[in-house]
Amino acid sequence: MNSARFHVRLVRKLTDGARLAWIFADRVDGLTLLHYVLDDGELHVLTTPVDGVVPSLTTHAPGADWYEREISERFAVVFDGTAERRPLTRTVSAERLIRHKSAEVSTVLYGPVRSGVIESARWIVETAGEDFIDVYPSMFFKHRGVEERFVGVPIDLAPFVAEHVSGATASSHASAFSRAVENTINLVVPERARATRAVLVELERIHQHLDSLAKLAEDASLSVGAATTFAAKERIHRLLCDATGSRFARGVICVGGTRFDALGRLREICARDLDAAERHARSAIDGLAATQSLLDRLIGTGHLSKATVKEYGGVGPVARGSGIACDVRMREGYLYTPLQGEEAREHNGDAVSRALVRIAEIQRSFQLVRSALDANPQGDHFICFDVADGEAIARVESPQGELLYFVRIDGGKLARVAVRSASYANWPLFVPSLPGNIFTDFSFIEHSFGASQAEVDR
Amino acid sequence: MSWMARGLRGGVLTTRYPLHPDEMPDSYRGAFQSIASANQEQERGAAVCLSGAIFPGADRATIDRARCFQCGQCAREVPEAFQTSPAFELAVVQAGAEAARERLHARSRAFGRSVHLRHVDAGSDGSEEQELAAIFNPFYDANRLGIFLTATPRHADVLIVTGVVTKPMRQPLLRTFEAMPEPKTVVALGTSACSGGIFAGSATVIGPVSSVLPVDVMIPGAPPAPLSILHGLWVALGHVLARETTA
Repeated sequence: MNSARFHVRLVRKLTDGARLAWIFADRVDGLTLLHYVLDDGELHVLTTPVDGVVPSLTTHAPGADWYEREISERFAVVFDGTAERRPLTRTVSAERLIRHKSAEVSTVLYGPVRSGVIESARWIVETAGEDFIDVYPSMFFKHRGVEERFVGVPIDLAPFVAEHVSGATASSHASAFSRAVENTINLVVPERARATRAVLVELERIHQHLDSLAKLAEDASLSVGAATTFAAKERIHRLLCDATGSRFARGVICVGGTRFDALGRLREICARDLDAAERHARSAIDGLAATQSLLDRLIGTGHLSKATVKEYGGVGPVARGSGIACDVRMREGYLYTPLQGEEAREHNGDAVSRALVRIAEIQRSFQLVRSALDANPQGDHFICFDVADGEAIARVESPQGELLYFVRIDGGKLARVAVRSASYANWPLFVPSLPGNIFTDFSFIEHSFGASQAEVDR
Repeated sequence: MSWMARGLRGGVLTTRYPLHPDEMPDSYRGAFQSIASANQEQERGAAVCLSGAIFPGADRATIDRARCFQCGQCAREVPEAFQTSPAFELAVVQAGAEAARERLHARSRAFGRSVHLRHVDAGSDGSEEQELAAIFNPFYDANRLGIFLTATPRHADVLIVTGVVTKPMRQPLLRTFEAMPEPKTVVALGTSACSGGIFAGSATVIGPVSSVLPVDVMIPGAPPAPLSILHGLWVALGHVLARETTA
């Protein structure tokens, strides 16, 4: 198929309502391939070789912008129009990024080193006092080359690399990577391993959602509320440490199941500590939800309409806060049997909606942990397998939303691993959430996204 | 219910560490030791170590704690040669840093032991920041020890750096260091900051913090537990001695 016809087919699928989930590139035998991942309920991967200038998808899906810019900078692919766009992955001198220059407009370079304990990222903010005139991200300060680091690593050790993409959501990353490799050989892991993964990913969702909520409380100078919420988070880390040997449950999930039988110990520790952890979390979130001084800062702040989120392909609590049903757990019976009932959603699209989605998900996750522990499927925690050449994609609902992994195995070794994190899918929505807000809303909006910079920059 | 009532109902959660001992659960994968074993077994352990922390020797291997990211693969695959322990006091003082520690010790004593930290993320995986923030939660409450965060390098006594240093972060890191008043102490937090971890030698990064700045104290761990961070800061302040770098 020639590239014009391929593009027409892509556009038709998008106008039919499919979501552009991801675009990534791969190099096979000297040929650059573009993989377009579309979601119409199921994931579809459409592949085309690069042949000259590639038509841009941004007019149909503005979320394509980041993917196209990254590919054009890393793989020297020319997309129609990308030459005029700002660089994404390369940090250039600030002067080159500044467009408006006038007496009324001042440009603030916010980052990469910012106050507090915070990951490095830079926002370039053009302002005429309190209002945002233009804001654009200058990121990838933390680019460690994790995708390149995967290449050639033996399959049994590679989940450790996935855990380095985002250490705070290590279980989601190790699960998604492992599942992608398992998909290359249609391997079904034992029930016991699935239950263990489910428990770890749900506990991870609880501690990361508590982290986001605690940061919002901190932004509102709600010291006791923040301390209580951070302490509730600490209880989950202590529980995980006792049960798995790592406060972030690292080094547990592997291709084929889990590295050791963790479920028995998880049952024992959760029987002892989970009730207290849940009571603590509930006390914290009930307190936050009833504190007017916090809610006042969140209501109406950082508004995103449903249409905007749909256009950009937002995921996770950010999308669900704008009323979009997108929880991977509802659709795929991988880590769990598909969830029953309704997924947590809010419809106002503001920072408080995103916080309320997180609060509802914390409560749901405690239930899911309990039901997976109670099910206690017997049998092995690991299944032996033979590595075979092939490629596959997998997705997991990480705390920040849909996480996608692609792996290609060639000659029995990892030849290409690509990661599309939830934070990456959501960051482009930060800019459209700003108009109408003022400077002091910035950190509230930022923390309502809950993005991890490490998994964006990779 | 008011926040005050909620807080009181929770009771006192705070550890008394480092003034009194505390410990991690027995299952914690903190430090790894090599035990007397055949060279062949040690080689098997080295082969499964993704960050190259294991150096086989005559009757036992040497493990470089600054490189170990605590995955536990060596002890799982070759239990004949490697053991895990819940040790968390893993901080290491770099050679030549004694003078810096003494200066900081004297300085912090002059201010009633108070010390201010400035954090810079040079390329972490995101978990080190969460563990560093955790030392201020009610379970650890570093403020009780006179340890505070500061937003400006001008007020900082200690620079805490997380993550392997990426190319674009070299300049911002150096500028923060230069903006701090003398005397200043640099702490590398986490295995990636201490040695580069699994990214050591990668073309995409510069390397460990020590390739850019003079590091005084290293706190290995992936990520280091809050208790490990408290210990490392206590070492940096010259209140306690550090351990040997290898085991």
